[in-house]
Amino acid sequence: MRECLSIHIGQAGIQIGDACWELYCLEHGIQPNGVVLDSQPDQLENAKMEHTNASFDTFFCETRAGKHVPRALFVDLEPTVIDGIRMGQHRSLFHPEQLLSGKEDAANNYARGRYSVGSKVIDLVLERTRKLAEQCGGLQGFLIFRSFGGGTGSGFTSLLMERLTGEYSRKTKLEFSVYPAPRISTAVVEPYNCVLTTHSTTEHTDCTFIVDNEAIYDICQRKLGVERPSYASINRLMVQAVSSITASLRFEGPLNVDLIEFQTNLVPYPRIHFPMTAFAPIVSADKAYREQFSVSDITTACFESSNQLVKCDPRLGKYMACCLLYRGDVVPKEVNAAIAATKSRHSVQFVDWCPTGFKVGINNRPPTVMPGGDLAKVHRAVCMLSNTTAIVEAWARLDHKFDLMYAKRAFLHWYLREGMEEAEFLEAREDLAALERDYEEVGQSF
Amino acid sequence: MSDTLTPDVIGRRVEVNGEHATVRFAGVVPPVAGPWLGVEWDNPERGKHDGSHEGTVYFKCRHPTGGSFIRPNKVNFGTDFLTAIKNRYVLEDGPEEDRKEQIVTLGNKPVETVGFDSLMKQQSQLSKLQEVSLRNCAVSCAGEKGGVAEACPNIRRVDLSKNLLSSWDEVIHIADQLRHLEVLNLSENKLKFPSGSALTGTFSALKVLVLNQTGITWAEVLWCAAWCPGLEELYLESNNIVISERPTDVLQTVKLLDLSSNQLIDENQLYLIAHLPRLEQLILSDVGISSIHFPDAGIGCKTSMFPSLQYLVVNDNQISQWSFFNELDKLPSLRALSCLRNPLTKEDKEANMTRQLIIASIGQLKTLNKCEILPKERRTAELDYRKAFGNEWKQAGGHQDPDKNRLSEEFLRAHRRYQFLCLSTCVYAGGLQVADFPLEQSVPLEYGAPEDWELKTQQPFMLKNQLLTLKIKYPDQLDQKVLEKQLPGSMTIQKVKGWLSRLLKVPVSDLLLSYESPKEPGIEIKLENDLQSLRFYSVENEDCLLVRW
Repeated sequence: MRECLSIHIGQAGIQIGDACWELYCLEHGIQPNGVVLDSQPDQLENAKMEHTNASFDTFFCETRAGKHVPRALFVDLEPTVIDGIRMGQHRSLFHPEQLLSGKEDAANNYARGRYSVGSKVIDLVLERTRKLAEQCGGLQGFLIFRSFGGGTGSGFTSLLMERLTGEYSRKTKLEFSVYPAPRISTAVVEPYNCVLTTHSTTEHTDCTFIVDNEAIYDICQRKLGVERPSYASINRLMVQAVSSITASLRFEGPLNVDLIEFQTNLVPYPRIHFPMTAFAPIVSADKAYREQFSVSDITTACFESSNQLVKCDPRLGKYMACCLLYRGDVVPKEVNAAIAATKSRHSVQFVDWCPTGFKVGINNRPPTVMPGGDLAKVHRAVCMLSNTTAIVEAWARLDHKFDLMYAKRAFLHWYLREGMEEAEFLEAREDLAALERDYEEVGQSF
Repeated sequence: MSDTLTPDVIGRRVEVNGEHATVRFAGVVPPVAGPWLGVEWDNPERGKHDGSHEGTVYFKCRHPTGGSFIRPNKVNFGTDFLTAIKNRYVLEDGPEEDRKEQIVTLGNKPVETVGFDSLMKQQSQLSKLQEVSLRNCAVSCAGEKGGVAEACPNIRRVDLSKNLLSSWDEVIHIADQLRHLEVLNLSENKLKFPSGSALTGTFSALKVLVLNQTGITWAEVLWCAAWCPGLEELYLESNNIVISERPTDVLQTVKLLDLSSNQLIDENQLYLIAHLPRLEQLILSDVGISSIHFPDAGIGCKTSMFPSLQYLVVNDNQISQWSFFNELDKLPSLRALSCLRNPLTKEDKEANMTRQLIIASIGQLKTLNKCEILPKERRTAELDYRKAFGNEWKQAGGHQDPDKNRLSEEFLRAHRRYQFLCLSTCVYAGGLQVADFPLEQSVPLEYGAPEDWELKTQQPFMLKNQLLTLKIKYPDQLDQKVLEKQLPGSMTIQKVKGWLSRLLKVPVSDLLLSYESPKEPGIEIKLENDLQSLRFYSVENEDCLLVRW
């Protein structure tokens, strides 16, 4: 019951997925070939394993042979990145039918991902999704991993989301999206792709957790002492946040938070569904045991901009809702005290129409770290998802860049060639402008 | 918090309003009546005096404001381990739990029980506990004998930092009851050493011991280590440790040693821990080290010290000499290094150059500052290193011809890898990081010795460097002297003719110019096009201009 299907789209989605399933396997004691580690001599460990078996059923499907197969689908329009998974460490974890690749890629072009190239692959993807969904007793919803700026991540995802809404209208769809960084750019046409995809996906997603590369680069450099963070370091940090969010679905805990509960508590209006993610504590493995992190320390740290996974200044906006997901050695008494302390701080401002604003989840499994990674093992951690009006800054930046390029109709012909029309661009831009206005409106006082 | 003061209260650790202190005196302080406790605060500025009052010295403090007199009832002596655990981990019972009844049979009669449910729930909660954090929970003793073993025997990881434990005796009492204890954190406690020694088996399962900020000395560390035969990780940050002796039978299983922020450590002390056989990670951040030497390694050899050391952390130190990294090349197993925020690495505006030089100096380094060194990066770094020190190599007696190559010892010692980089072919195996999928990449290292043209340094672009020294001959005139003149290479032929015409009082149109070079005698090259410069015709230094009219 309560199964979740993860769909990883495009290079970003797939590489994050790789790190993600690696972490899940470590947390559940599943070896790279899908078999649970069985050789515990200690009875207590065995008992614990049986206890957690039932819960990780939400993310893994057990075959008759005793193998645990992730409930995931990896999709890309060109084969190189997926081949990395097919030949990598986890090749025996996934069934070959879960790794789908096309032959021609989207070339950073939304139009190709959505119309020309994407349309050839969509039926196959939906068929495989249906197969995975049929294996589930009670599918709760989908988790989509993708980037906003790439061709497949933007174009193909919007196509897929439309079709998923058509076929599975009652299921939740949560997204983990990589938003384009303010100063570091991987593609010139990112703003076009982002605006177009946001316009078409907004009505089909229930909640989109955004992260951006620049914020995570800075965290890696300043807090973890990594001189030049690679995508591997960045993904490892991001999946810790993802793991915290899905922890209550995978482990039993004193205070669990379901997928639907996220929606109910974080999204005040259907269009205002872009919470910001923050994670604490972020400690370098070289500094293990040197700093102590109590519950109140890590709660305060979440409200600092240096722990955010998105570059935006929450002090410029107001909080509408806040979800704190604790894991590890956390006691409810301490959580209450920490939250009371936070509410009394002036820098944390809530909107007038949302007096309480906090949702808390506690899970007793401490965070696991990947061997050879940069993070230290800590006793407790917290992931904060907050819906703040300050995120409109991110949209404003994006819209500005879009306007600069669109005013000159630069790079537009690549999209028009694939069958798109300028009208779609204008429509998308209008939609984002409306989104900005919506945010401003909710942030206003009575 | 009792009023009766027994002599054993002296030395106990106490807490008053969040501040920790050690009891140094118990008794009467005239003229005020009643019992007083004299305490020395952890924070040296918290107190009012140094243990003396109105001329009489009651106890001694290290600081003039380190002590105070306090009434015993204001002081928290702490609680026992088991109570602290219950306080933190047991959920409070709701009112509905009390009503629960259960029917239990004793003999033949059914008996109603009330409240058993919640008790059983409590007990099962505690027995499941594996990881316990009791930081700042005022734990001062183990409590009733056997209590801990009965209630929560499965504890594997305990954080007892910043508590009120006053001696290792109490720690041993707790640890004795936790047979599976693997990780023990006793940071920020001030522990006295025990009267007896620990029973064998007390810390038999202990793998990680954290003793940061405890003021422990090296001798005491070795005593502790004697009770932990399987110890793998030892953290000793901020203890002002001075390594005074070599550990002979203890610490032999230790894989990780954290000695950061111990400012009294210097490189000579490191020799005392250099023979720990399993030491893989050594953390020396912020110790003030500036150099390191492995004198037992000759030119081209590896040292016998630190045989297993794979990862060295020297962030936040005083390293300002390149020779530091050259010495690190002597370590046989070193694979990863972190050396951020040192004077050498801070000054350099081009951080890339620093990184490249470190990579080239240490041959087997695979990770620098937590970034993997890819084979391509290593190749570029090594080529640049070879070129950068080429001139020095030449001056030290280096030669392209291996037979004539006689390098000075000084150079060989300062640039350990230079000769290796100059070898004409070499198989280079660079392993990728994926553990189960190692890829051997054989790239023939055909660097060779640096050529002369590579070593020519760019002359700064000044006018005097652009001038050509030329001889001017008049072959058709027998009595004119040979002139020597410096002319810029960019001067056009027209201008040269103009100048010659003024000099020789001959009209410009009559002049015919050509030049010959001493490198190719007998060959005359005509300078026909007036609009071209001397450089266009490849006129070089020491060439001879021939003027005819």
